[in-house]
Amino acid sequence: MSAIASSSQPVVGLSSSGALSHAYIKYPPLRYNIPGSRGLFYDDGNKIIVSPTNNQVFSWKISPFTPAIAPTSDSLSEGPILSIKFSLDSKLIAIQRSNHEIQFQHLETGETFTQKCKSESESLLGFFWTDCLLCDIVFVKTSGLDLFAYNSELNMLHLVETRKLNVNWYVYTHESRLVLLASGMQCKAFTGFQLSSVGIIQLPKFEMVMAKSEANSKPILASEDVYIITVYGRIYCLQVDRVAMLLHSYRFYCDAVVQQGSLPIYSSKIAVSVVDNVLLVHQVDAKVVILYDIFLDSQSPISAPLPLLLRGLPRSTSMGSRSNDKNGENSEVNYLSDLEAIIYGDDWNFLIPDLICDVSNKILWKLHLDLEAIAASSSDMASVLDFLQRRKLEAYQAKHLCLATARTIILERRPLSLVARVIDVLVSSYANSLKTGNYFKGSRSEKRAASTALHENIPAAGDMASASRATIIGKSFEYEGAGLEGEYFQASASSGSDLEENGTMGYLRTDTNIDTGKVPIGTETKIIEVHPPSVQADYDGLRNNLSGTSVSRMQERQLTSPVISPDEMYSFVFCPVEEEMAGEPSYLVSIMIELLRSANSEKIKVHPNIYVLTVQLLARNEQFVELGLLIINKVLEPSREVALQLLESGRQNRQIRKLGLDMLRQLNLHHDYIVSLVQEGYYLEALRYTRKHKVVTVQPSLFLEAALSSKDPQHLAAVLRFFSDFLPGFSHTSDHKAYYHLLTEMTLAPVS
Amino acid sequence: MGLSSVSINTEDLQFCVFDLKRGQYEGQELDKILFFYPADLPFPSQLSVVGLSEGLITFTSIFSPEAPCEVIEANRHSHVFYQAEADIWMVMVVEKSKEVESVWRIDALRKVLKEVHSLFMMFHGSIKSLLMKDPTGGVVRSHLYTFIMDYLSDFLVGKKLHLPSFRDSLKERGTIEMLTVGREVAIEVQSLVRVVESCGGNAQYHSLLMFQDLLVSTTLCPDDTINLFAYAVLRLTPHALSSRQSSWSYRGKGNSRSSTEATASFFEQHSGNSWSGDHRSILRPLQHDRWSKGKDGFLVNDIWHANSGNSTSSTPVIYLQQTEERMYLCAYQHRSLTLLFVVPVSSIINAEQGVNVVKQLILDNASLKMLKVEEKLSKGWGGENAYHVPGYRYLLVDVDQNISRASPPAKVDTLTKDSLLSLTKLRKEVDIEKSRARWDSPDHDRDLEICIRAKNNAWVIARTTRGKELYMVLENANETVLYASDAVEKFSNRYCNGAFSLD
Repeated sequence: MSAIASSSQPVVGLSSSGALSHAYIKYPPLRYNIPGSRGLFYDDGNKIIVSPTNNQVFSWKISPFTPAIAPTSDSLSEGPILSIKFSLDSKLIAIQRSNHEIQFQHLETGETFTQKCKSESESLLGFFWTDCLLCDIVFVKTSGLDLFAYNSELNMLHLVETRKLNVNWYVYTHESRLVLLASGMQCKAFTGFQLSSVGIIQLPKFEMVMAKSEANSKPILASEDVYIITVYGRIYCLQVDRVAMLLHSYRFYCDAVVQQGSLPIYSSKIAVSVVDNVLLVHQVDAKVVILYDIFLDSQSPISAPLPLLLRGLPRSTSMGSRSNDKNGENSEVNYLSDLEAIIYGDDWNFLIPDLICDVSNKILWKLHLDLEAIAASSSDMASVLDFLQRRKLEAYQAKHLCLATARTIILERRPLSLVARVIDVLVSSYANSLKTGNYFKGSRSEKRAASTALHENIPAAGDMASASRATIIGKSFEYEGAGLEGEYFQASASSGSDLEENGTMGYLRTDTNIDTGKVPIGTETKIIEVHPPSVQADYDGLRNNLSGTSVSRMQERQLTSPVISPDEMYSFVFCPVEEEMAGEPSYLVSIMIELLRSANSEKIKVHPNIYVLTVQLLARNEQFVELGLLIINKVLEPSREVALQLLESGRQNRQIRKLGLDMLRQLNLHHDYIVSLVQEGYYLEALRYTRKHKVVTVQPSLFLEAALSSKDPQHLAAVLRFFSDFLPGFSHTSDHKAYYHLLTEMTLAPVS
Repeated sequence: MGLSSVSINTEDLQFCVFDLKRGQYEGQELDKILFFYPADLPFPSQLSVVGLSEGLITFTSIFSPEAPCEVIEANRHSHVFYQAEADIWMVMVVEKSKEVESVWRIDALRKVLKEVHSLFMMFHGSIKSLLMKDPTGGVVRSHLYTFIMDYLSDFLVGKKLHLPSFRDSLKERGTIEMLTVGREVAIEVQSLVRVVESCGGNAQYHSLLMFQDLLVSTTLCPDDTINLFAYAVLRLTPHALSSRQSSWSYRGKGNSRSSTEATASFFEQHSGNSWSGDHRSILRPLQHDRWSKGKDGFLVNDIWHANSGNSTSSTPVIYLQQTEERMYLCAYQHRSLTLLFVVPVSSIINAEQGVNVVKQLILDNASLKMLKVEEKLSKGWGGENAYHVPGYRYLLVDVDQNISRASPPAKVDTLTKDSLLSLTKLRKEVDIEKSRARWDSPDHDRDLEICIRAKNNAWVIARTTRGKELYMVLENANETVLYASDAVEKFSNRYCNGAFSLD
């Protein structure tokens, strides 16, 4: 936040003049410098980076990102390494040794086996591990896909399925579970498969758009120019068109690929990152980054292009160490000064979604957003808050910024319509989170029961299966994208539970029809049984059925979300603001009304505090007519708090006091009502009321005192009589004696 | 209905306004009189009415200087007094006839005097201030004349003036009738009202929102609300604009109202006398059929435009009662929804242009909200008989808030004359009780419950409790008093939040 920004300003050498940025990398980075390293591999399935040496492999966990983390190491057999990836259960390690073979090594036992391509004509492009129920690992070859399942007993791979097609190159991200296979002369014809936990979904073939520079030239699309990204749980593909200088985006639906539009690019080298569902397009040559929030399918950037900054560099250390002039620290100084110069250096390697690998320095950066700077860069408050409300990674900061913004616009007396829109954004965001939250709580237990009843041994997998079935492709992964592993299953449970039964039934039906291709793996036998290759057609049908009834996509917001409840709005916006704006309450009341309107339209309960404050403000402004209207129409909902405030605020206004009394009566708050009635001087009425509603909590002395102060002996006598008649044992109390004595004095006085 | 016969040109009704401080010397007595109806009554007769009234006021103020004289019940006439301003008195003399039809409730007549004076003040300022400006009294006389004659023309049925009689005992003049709305709509309404108010910036705008002839919301103080509400119902609401034929309105004009021609002739008939002066140059806010709906949804008139003194602006200027601030009055109408808003004259530099800017500002900011509110209100609107409660004929008055609600006039018309006469009698009793209680303990409302079995076996009931009054006629009801009190209890619980339930 501001502290960080200011402290980092003098440090960053690149832009000493008012260092402003919307995205930054933070010092210190993760260093993966291992002697004898033979390259670095990014294993996005396990969220680790892997660096092998001759006989060892080192890996660093990168989620959560902790720069100081120590690597774990495993031993490794020697040989060339084209690619290396751990299996998703971390039991196996697969090393691509050549274009034809992949070696597998069991991590515990050290046993190895090798899988080779069948024919010499095809060559291996790569491979990836998958959590698809059908298979465990997928080989991508020039001739298509080979899907293998691992048999732990025999310690070998078993071919499950083959998809034949020509492949030039491919892209895959574990986040999306989507593999895109490029084919054709220009490599612009694509076939996509999603290997989700329920099976394989084949996307319709599509072609990417490429502009021609000249009539006869046919540019060839390179794999570096295609990115698969996951934003708000939706899967997009971004393609760089170097001729047109455009970044085309395509969105994947379960049965369609739709081109969404094109973003302009300003650099021959482009890189793409996703941080907290915000798309960052790095214009590497221009050394700036442009941010897009494609939630609303808008093509316009969030803010102007600004450089990426390095923050948190320990300036004092470097200054101090320079004078000390020790060898070790000197190198540290050099290293630090190097860091400053390497922003968008040639050795930067952008890893989807949000990492940057500096190959030459052997360090790994993580990208961050500067929410405060982004918020400050736009004048459209409502959309800024809308943007902030969607942030999850730095939820606390987003929330803090939202509250601060809300306070500021009120203090600055911005037009009511603007404030109303801001409130709408906050309230609807809260309502959304409430809906999903409640939905989750309510559905979780019954869901769990249903799923275990149907197939006992795979509760978690079942959840995921139904979840991803429920809506578009990638449904089951959207929450993982936010980096909140803990919420993963909760999230899918909340999104998919409605369809759980449907999905599972359709799923089991296929079990009875086709029972072939048994590949027993672990305990999940049953699941694999129902996924023979020929079942694919059924899946397509089922998917289409379900897509119509799919649950609307709601954003999951757990504790880590920046939503603001009306309560918090009261404590952190209205209370502080009210103190500062004591002069003119009318404007604030208008805002409260807008809050109530917004809350009402979202069916959210508002805490009585807000009503009480409204009453105070109106009374202070002597707008008693309006206050009366608000009470009569129940705009300010009745509650004890409000009623007592009315009595308090109505000290100068009898009508308002009456409204408070009426409210107490209507709420059946007998005790409060009677006490207030007596205070108003209606003690006889209060007595009648006590009797009718059998209220015994009010002390007789209260009534007697009131009657006495009226100086009317008849009234005092009546009250005394009332208690003598209706309160057993009253005639023996000291009250009776005392007031009886007073009564006699009163009646005698005129005579004497 | 409405046969209370006060025919024109007879002495059945006399109405005068006079100033005690004027005409102190012999021979100048006529100077006291600021208004007299009928205007063609010979001066000696006029003077005798005023003289008698003045004498009585002087006499009674010896005993009760604060509130000298309210009514004189003579053998053949009732004199109703209303002290409009210091030294300015309004007196209405109605004839007691043997016919039952002319049974008046004095309080109802006094409310008429109060209303006409309040409306006059709203448009012209106080009589005193007019007299200050023009000590000869010429200006005030011509203003009063046109204003009161226009006002009285509303009571004209055929060729007769029908003052509120026992037939109107389930109505309360000088109160507001409100539309009951749900919470959601109420919030929308408040949001709209707040937006209108916020258009004023530092200047204090006020607004009054009406649906049909019912009030939805106000930000004005109670007195100004009552006045503007009354004026709107008389001249501005869609109902008042289109025609005055429908039987439904808060004034319960069950009688088919007089045509414009008749009212005009009523006016002409009485003009050309010493009081009227040159009424053509006089502002006549109550003149009929001068308001219409403009293209932009704002109501326009040719009253203020014609007025020479104010020729730059056709926007009416009114005086707020409490602050005496001068305000422009604008009215916007969308279907059944009427939004009145008042803008301080002092906040606008360039009269006509400035008002137009404000209008445009309001349109820009609030027109969408108005559409929404109108739609929601129309959806929830129960029609003319929305507040009818089967089996009951009632009048519910919230004295503190000046709000009333009553059975629809068409339903009241089904009551027999006997019931209504009994109710009038009962209301007179309650009026007396109330005025006594007011003197005894002004801060303490008394509970009152009266149940009468009328000659025609109807139950006639009055309940008052802490600022709320309920009058009720139950015809064809069971004969036990228990039944009657149960009926009240039920009504109270269902429609008054239990306000009248026995404590």
